[in-house]
Amino acid sequence: MLDIALLWEARGLILQGLWNTLWICLLGCLVALSLGLVLAALRLANPRLFSYPVACYVEICRGVPLLILLFLLYYGGPSIGLTLSASIAGVVGIGLYGAGYFAEIYRGGFKSIPKGQLEAARMIGISPWHALIRIQIPQMARLIVPPSTNQLIILVKESALISIISVDDLTKNATTIVNQTFQVIEPYLAVALLYWLMIELVARGGYALEKRLANR
Amino acid sequence: MPTADTLSAPTPTRQKAIVEAHGISKQFGELEVLTNIDFSLAPSEVVCVIGPSGSGKSTLLRCLAFLEPYDHGSVYIDGQLLGYEDRSGKRVRTSEKRVDEVRAPVGMVFQHFHLWPHRTALENVTEALRLVNGLSRRDADVDGMAMLEQVGLADRAGHFPESLSGGQKQRVAIARALAMKPRVMFFDEPTSALDPELVGEVLDVMKKLAADGMTMVIVTHEMGFAAKVADRVIFMDQGRVVESGPPSTLFRQPKSERLQQFLNTWRERHID
Repeated sequence: MLDIALLWEARGLILQGLWNTLWICLLGCLVALSLGLVLAALRLANPRLFSYPVACYVEICRGVPLLILLFLLYYGGPSIGLTLSASIAGVVGIGLYGAGYFAEIYRGGFKSIPKGQLEAARMIGISPWHALIRIQIPQMARLIVPPSTNQLIILVKESALISIISVDDLTKNATTIVNQTFQVIEPYLAVALLYWLMIELVARGGYALEKRLANR
Repeated sequence: MPTADTLSAPTPTRQKAIVEAHGISKQFGELEVLTNIDFSLAPSEVVCVIGPSGSGKSTLLRCLAFLEPYDHGSVYIDGQLLGYEDRSGKRVRTSEKRVDEVRAPVGMVFQHFHLWPHRTALENVTEALRLVNGLSRRDADVDGMAMLEQVGLADRAGHFPESLSGGQKQRVAIARALAMKPRVMFFDEPTSALDPELVGEVLDVMKKLAADGMTMVIVTHEMGFAAKVADRVIFMDQGRVVESGPPSTLFRQPKSERLQQFLNTWRERHID
């Protein structure tokens, strides 16, 4: 039998963990989404100058585990004068890591719009800026929503790793409850359910956005 | 064989040419795709450019529109140098904005239409009216509908490109270019991507345009159309203008061996 009362007693820790996971994920994802856009834009705006550095960055993000990145930021940071609280190291880690993936998603979106559509726009006097806003971005938005949703889900799940650099997130607090009560199943099931709820929310949001964009 | 120099001769007053090119060349890497081309287009003139694939005819049109920057020579639209300017004796690229200004009189139609798939037929036509000319939505819609009517597609105004046939897409693309009131229209193989039975409706629209006095440069494989509509036909091969003249002479008495060959191949393919 599951001991629901135990969870009720530990509700303070669970809610604190949920709150920390939520805001760190939210900020981390915002950093990832916007830094990714900047990287993709730099690369598209001046391929000669930025292609190589951005490509390197992307490769590092793809090639290095998030946990190592978090260790470097949190434990390695102070030795280069960068002292971050565990939570902020989590935000920065998730942000930097996710940005590499989003940069690629955006770039793919831009690349899949035929060049001719822009030439057609330029030939009737539509400025490059207007073409970007009215022709490229609306079409790109449609294309990037499904892979972006997917990437956000991955980031939310991987955020469990910040527990290892001592952030009191859902995962770490669940472990704390386990250590205090010697009950393993209930705390982990409870946080699993909460992760699943968060991810379901992201997925639904992405799906709604996808539908909305498809209609226009 | 006529040399490139004789080509600019038919224009009596140079001032009057809408589009004029002197000695333009273009290389893609090692490959020279255009070699020293002269070109001149008088108001209301319809010029068809023919030639085998890879002869440089599309590149010529794209250079005249500065969609491809030409390497040497000069292109003038209405007497204004396109794409470059002299800055203390050195030739430098102009800003995109300046390019827009100079080529404002030019409308272009592409082989693959290049409609914007997230906009309806009408919105494709009105986009620039609103963004560039600053018209209100209502005024732009009135103008846009008039353009769609001109190409016989008023009843398709609310359709997205994906639900239009190739011929209809190309007609919307023509309407989109016409909406900006161009004085010259460039057509880059406008019917080459179409099913044979849809070619006619696009050519009909173009014939009507020509009859209304529109100045046009048409890169095409439609010899029949060129013979009927063109005032002048230019035959290109290997990046050079080999022969040019009125269609009657060019098609009936081709002087160069290369054009004779080209026409024979075409006839063999179309006789049955």
